[in-house]
Amino acid sequence: MDILVLQILNSLFYASVLFLLAAGLSLIFGVMGIINMAHGSLYALGAYVTAWVITFAATAVHPAVLFLLLPAGALVVTAAGVVIEPVLLRPLYKRPEEYQLLITFGLLLVLEDVMRFVWGGTPLSASPLMDALGIVHVGEFVYPTYNLLVIAIGVFAALGVWAFVYRTRFGVMLRATSQDRRMASALGMNVGRVYVQAFGLGCFMAGLGGAIVVPSQAAVLGMGVEVLVLAFVVVVIGGLGSLEGALVGALIVSFVRTGVIQFYEELELAVLYLIAAAVLLVRPTGLFGRPQ
Amino acid sequence: MDEQKQVTRRDFLRQLGVTVGAAGLGATGIGATGYLAAPARAAMKPKGNIPSTPIKTGHITFLTGPAELLGGPGLRGHLLAAEEINAQGGILGKRKIETIQADEAAGTDANVKELRRMKLSEKIDLFTGVISSGNTPALGPVAEELKVLTMFNDGCTDFLFDKAVPNPKYVFRVTNIQSADGVTAAVGAAQHWPKARKIASIQPDYSYGRNVHEHFTLALERLTGGIEVVAEAWPKLFTTDFTPHITKLLSAKPDLLVVGLWGGDYVAFYKQALRYGLFDKMKVATTLAFGGVPHAVGKDHPEGVLAGVHANYHFLYPPGDQWPVNKKFVDTYHKRWKEYPSFESDGAYTTLMMYKAAVEKANQLTGGWPDDEAIIAMLEGMGYDSPAGYVYIRPDNHQGYKDAVTGLTKNLPEYDFPVWDPNSIVYIPIRSITAPPNWPKPGQGGNNESTAAADWIKKTWPKAKA
Repeated sequence: MDILVLQILNSLFYASVLFLLAAGLSLIFGVMGIINMAHGSLYALGAYVTAWVITFAATAVHPAVLFLLLPAGALVVTAAGVVIEPVLLRPLYKRPEEYQLLITFGLLLVLEDVMRFVWGGTPLSASPLMDALGIVHVGEFVYPTYNLLVIAIGVFAALGVWAFVYRTRFGVMLRATSQDRRMASALGMNVGRVYVQAFGLGCFMAGLGGAIVVPSQAAVLGMGVEVLVLAFVVVVIGGLGSLEGALVGALIVSFVRTGVIQFYEELELAVLYLIAAAVLLVRPTGLFGRPQ
Repeated sequence: MDEQKQVTRRDFLRQLGVTVGAAGLGATGIGATGYLAAPARAAMKPKGNIPSTPIKTGHITFLTGPAELLGGPGLRGHLLAAEEINAQGGILGKRKIETIQADEAAGTDANVKELRRMKLSEKIDLFTGVISSGNTPALGPVAEELKVLTMFNDGCTDFLFDKAVPNPKYVFRVTNIQSADGVTAAVGAAQHWPKARKIASIQPDYSYGRNVHEHFTLALERLTGGIEVVAEAWPKLFTTDFTPHITKLLSAKPDLLVVGLWGGDYVAFYKQALRYGLFDKMKVATTLAFGGVPHAVGKDHPEGVLAGVHANYHFLYPPGDQWPVNKKFVDTYHKRWKEYPSFESDGAYTTLMMYKAAVEKANQLTGGWPDDEAIIAMLEGMGYDSPAGYVYIRPDNHQGYKDAVTGLTKNLPEYDFPVWDPNSIVYIPIRSITAPPNWPKPGQGGNNESTAAADWIKKTWPKAKA
């Protein structure tokens, strides 16, 4: 029973991180039609920046202040995104999709090397945040309180993104652009600005994912590539371009992964890919995707 | 030979020659005999005409990704050796070492292509490096085909010389054989926690993890008797979220957990396991906790964990006052790279130094620059005083052997990272935990096990009374 509670919490924790990543990926695709291969590396960049800032500040400031520094990674990644969109992506919108895949994949390789160049091969950690919150007891076991905070951030992020997209003027513009870019442009919207904002928001979510995960793990080289694969499984299941799909997909992937690990671990990745394949066969656009 | 003679655990460990703590130094191979190519020996005058063209070495290792934690120190060890040799004018005073690097993270196929390119286009004289056990079995046969002298640093799978290249001519490997990892962890665990019976295991899901799991459980069963494996976790290599695996391990309530995770994976694992209280609930034996750069593991790492170094080398051992070769290496390495060396650093450094020693020896016999045949003849059976102690290249399988060592973690004030508790260190003569020369390879002579080592343990080790 205690184990069940722990595994449910583990699944929710991982689903929160996967949701932030997959929702950003989906948002960028939905609005701009770009599959951002560098999304995982932006997540890793968020993790590295937050770990680096926290390590620097840990000896100087009160732990409560450290929590204010947690979003540092997300902000840096957002800033990077706002530069990347006009400089690297905008010249390629008129070209076929493979150019966009190539340039974002190139960006992935560049970012991986930049992180290695700046921070080296030794993992960085942000453990002071983890230690500041202590543990909660679950029966005879313990669970880190910080991970509950991550779950809460995941829930708030899901609500926040939903409200943003469906309840604000900017959300209407986003959705209009995603449905018909030329019509939105003809109606007088500044589509270029919507693109920058959408890409920035997607990057913010990726960076936030990295920032909140790093205190409980460590920033290691290649972490973005590992998680990108799962993020793609999430969006394939949920439907590329759909925020609801990202949420449901993240929950499915996370709970199934945990369940398989507990009971029959050899099939961990196989089961996830099988689910993705089954969804593609039955609903090629994903559970919540709409036909183009 | 299933009718085992029964011995006590204590007698068994004594038979293996296992020694513990500072008093055990006699067993590290210091003072071992054999012909020594001691680095301290005054250089003999080269014979004949030596060309002044550089020696080209190819070095493939992990330069990116989580495994950079192992590959980076390896490359730095290689470069340090090259710089030291070049500062003396090069090998035989004439030929300086040039290094062509490539990233092992490109994948096995790309590595094979790169080795071909290095030999055919760059005309390398020596191929070195390689970390992954998935890569050496692919590169080894190609190196034989290309006839390129190859000294792998790691990629330590038994499979390389058991199956992939059973009769090596050009291929050598310097650091220890893989099965020694699991057996060393088992001997360390039997020494420190003889009462542990319920065993759990968490291993990366590929050949290395399978090998550690198999040899650890096999050896521990002989050493303590009556063990039971209560949980296994097989995370994919380069996993970052270990919380479901940790919860599964906790649910099985084992006495002892054996961990074969390495590089960034181990760091992420221990940080998560710490917060789930895993280290309070079970003893933990690892094969590679101290496998990366020493400062990769922080002082938040729990004390009293058996911290493996791939059965190879920790920079504090053998202690510098008793083994000056190590002190000199650690000092120069630290001065050059501002960090302490890992076992990969020692392996890559020793590789080049052994190559140099073999060339010098061959030169004395043949004059001029010796051809590969002569260098190979000198490498076969060579003994060398490396920073890690005495290394011996066995002629039958071209594998480097040195005594295995492991110990329990402790935080000492002198270092910003955990090191071994000096009283906990377990030394094991390598001949006690590896199959002897010409033991039947898997699939031959009644050996139906996965490795020669497993077959040898099953057929010759007694079983301790439970």
